[in-house]
Amino acid sequence: MENTALAHHLLLAGLLFVLGLTGVLVRRNLLVVYMCLELMLAAATLALVAFSRFNRTMDGAVLVFFVITVAAAEVAVGLALIVALFRKRGTVQSDALTTLRD
Amino acid sequence: MPDGLFIFFAALTLGAALLLVLSRNAVTSAMGMILALVGVAADFFLLDAYFLGVLQVLVYAGAVMVLFLFIIMLLDTEDPQGAYPWKTAALGLAVFFLLAAAVLWLFQWSGAVSTVKAGATPAELSTNPAEFVTAAKAFGRLLYSKYLLPLEIAGFLLLVALVGVVSLSKDNPENQA
Amino acid sequence: MSPDFSSLVHWILFLPLGAAAFSALFLRRAGGFAAWFSTAAAFGIAGLSLYLLAQGADVRWHVELAKFGGVSLGFGYLLDANARLMLFVVSFVAAWIHLFSVGYMQEDAARGRFFGGLSIFMFSILGIVVADNLLMTFIFWELVGFSSYMLIAHYFDKDFAAAASKKAFIVNRVGDLGFILGIAMCLSLYGTLDFAALKDHAAAAKTIPAAVGALLMCGFLGKSAQFPLHVWLTDAMAGPTPVSALIHAATMVAAGVYFMARVSFLLAPEVLQFIAISGAGMAALAGLCALAQTDIKKSLAYSTLAHLGIMGCALGLGHPELALMHMAMHAFFKATLFLGAGSVIHGCHHEQDMLKMGGLLKKMPLTAATFIAATLSNCAVPFLAGWYSKDAIIEAAWHDGHLAIFAFLSLAALATCLYSGRMIRLVFLGEANSEEASHAHESPWTMTLPLVVLGLVYSVAGGFLASTLLPAGSLQPIKGALDAIAFHLTAPSTIVGLLSLVLGFLGALKFYGSVRGADALQVVSPRTYHLLEHRWMDGVYRWYVDAVQRRVAEFIAFLDLLLINGVAVRWIGGGVPAVLGYLTGRSFHRGQTRAYALWIVIGSLFLAWFLIAR
Repeated sequence: MENTALAHHLLLAGLLFVLGLTGVLVRRNLLVVYMCLELMLAAATLALVAFSRFNRTMDGAVLVFFVITVAAAEVAVGLALIVALFRKRGTVQSDALTTLRD
Repeated sequence: MPDGLFIFFAALTLGAALLLVLSRNAVTSAMGMILALVGVAADFFLLDAYFLGVLQVLVYAGAVMVLFLFIIMLLDTEDPQGAYPWKTAALGLAVFFLLAAAVLWLFQWSGAVSTVKAGATPAELSTNPAEFVTAAKAFGRLLYSKYLLPLEIAGFLLLVALVGVVSLSKDNPENQA
Repeated sequence: MSPDFSSLVHWILFLPLGAAAFSALFLRRAGGFAAWFSTAAAFGIAGLSLYLLAQGADVRWHVELAKFGGVSLGFGYLLDANARLMLFVVSFVAAWIHLFSVGYMQEDAARGRFFGGLSIFMFSILGIVVADNLLMTFIFWELVGFSSYMLIAHYFDKDFAAAASKKAFIVNRVGDLGFILGIAMCLSLYGTLDFAALKDHAAAAKTIPAAVGALLMCGFLGKSAQFPLHVWLTDAMAGPTPVSALIHAATMVAAGVYFMARVSFLLAPEVLQFIAISGAGMAALAGLCALAQTDIKKSLAYSTLAHLGIMGCALGLGHPELALMHMAMHAFFKATLFLGAGSVIHGCHHEQDMLKMGGLLKKMPLTAATFIAATLSNCAVPFLAGWYSKDAIIEAAWHDGHLAIFAFLSLAALATCLYSGRMIRLVFLGEANSEEASHAHESPWTMTLPLVVLGLVYSVAGGFLASTLLPAGSLQPIKGALDAIAFHLTAPSTIVGLLSLVLGFLGALKFYGSVRGADALQVVSPRTYHLLEHRWMDGVYRWYVDAVQRRVAEFIAFLDLLLINGVAVRWIGGGVPAVLGYLTGRSFHRGQTRAYALWIVIGSLFLAWFLIAR
């Protein structure tokens, strides 16, 4: 532990974040897109904990607590939205959802 | 040189995340997601944030992913047939590298990282009198004093989400096709 | 230090909650069992509180629930002499009313809900009585409001009951808004909500800001139905009669008086002045209004308003002990009156119109006897319960030199005798004026026994009650007030009392006997009758809602339409994209989710670059 620096953790967090972002951009299945979003959030929390740890303050860690809470609420609502969407449109492929064009 | 555990879990996390992004099967993706989240939780442990690590496993890898899996199975969408879309994957790879380059460049340029000495240990960085305490009790103390209002709001948010989900999932005719 | 009675208080407080929970969970279908179960609990509480009263021991018990910075929120008991008296009155009256309800609600399908409601009401009101801090008081205060709402709306399928419960609830909220602001102000001024600590602060400070008392008074105005928030009480009679007796005559409305007595050290002289004058005015007016009601319960409700005015007046004159004593006496005889009315209504097959009754003295002798005893007590016939407290208050007004208040109270005393005489004449004397009244029958023992106990015993033994029955020590503060105001035959209050009694009571008996099947006053002077019957404050509120509140609301709605919907959403939110879309030929606007996501990513990267490069 003493051998890992802040930069290592941030690198990991950054890579995870970008990986999630890539998934959001290229995947079509809304469920997978949603999971990628969650991955981005997890990456962000990782960075927060790292900063918090290396600055020896609790605030970042407490913020992570709230992020997890909000994420749980958000997943519940988001999934309910996806289910409602599936009921209405019969698909969860993002290509098929172009109503916003009109 | 970072220690072995960190390298192991970082590799695990990134590998699982790759599986999540690349797999065509949603269930496989979810499995990758779970693994990635466990990896992140392990990293929390390495950062001495034991409580958050446990929370991450319980809430994320546990409850949230179960919900995901449940919905995946409920919707039962068909996996795309035919050859693996290598072109899309290649595009994704390009996007990934572009974005990674952009993010890392921003990181570097911001100087936020470079001011931290490489190999700096927590002890060397200690400036804050409010110690980073790992026990759940410390969380509780902070949550119920400094962060009381956010805590209340978070609680209320959960309630709102609950009500919202109930009203969204209600089988009302307007939602039907 | 006397032995610790806090566990006893636990029992008193949580027994009704347990009973309510048990009723709500398991006894929804078993109404008969729920009734007896709840009644047994009520008698248990009454016994315990009588024991506590006999012991005469102060109880202090406190547990801290939460601490935010310097503010501590807790749950605790503070039982002093006043609290013990109130505890006894509430639990004792309530127990007999429970018993009465067993008979009265015999044929009701929703008895489980009714008795559960009574129990939850008991829990709430006892919470107010024993509470040792403002927050706890407020919580139980709201619970009382809730249970009152629930019980008024017992016949919720009737429109007027539903409307009355809503009205009671909303009017009380208006008062409670002031109450909670007052609590907040106490907190910001003194940093504590504990009664004992507040008292120390008040004693240390030379003057108390009038606003604190005025805001706390708002809660009292609402709950105790004081002017101008009195409008809900008469409508609240839509509930079952035992509810009217328990909540809207004996205990809940008195809770406001009790609360004011408890925080009397926080009331500035200006506030007291206001309470005294508005109380005295309301006492006189409500007494007169009672003359113009034909519904027996509504007439009694106005009588309650008058007595609440008298209690408020005593508070305002700086005699909280007298107010509490009158509260206790009033609880006994007014509960009897309401229960008697309930018995009459029950006997007359749910006829509430006094003009259609008559001649019930022979048909319902027990009810009639107790009702008349309570009425005489209500009129402050010497040596009956009401006399001790009411005349003491009138005497106090004279003694302190408040002539206007004295005049109003004398008018109230006269009005009381008038409407009491009218009620007796219309209901019990003369001939039956309808089919129902002629077939009236005496009620079962469960209804008459409470009447006898509450009415005869406590009306007649009022003096005994005032001095001795309430055991040594518990009445000490009240005794002090009594001694300060000497009773003797030439005292102005005695003269006024006897005069109004003779004039009012006998006059009313004769006057209302002159016309049959109609109200004599309405026949003689329809305009006066209408003047008294008309509900002026309802009109004022209607005007306020129509002319002021709705106008403001419409104006705000207009602003919302114009600024938010119009300018912000239509013009800016809709216009900018429309123009841009036109300029780019909608090439960025394909409805592709991923494309939008990409734009967001590019935008945020750009933003990050901007923030870092700056």
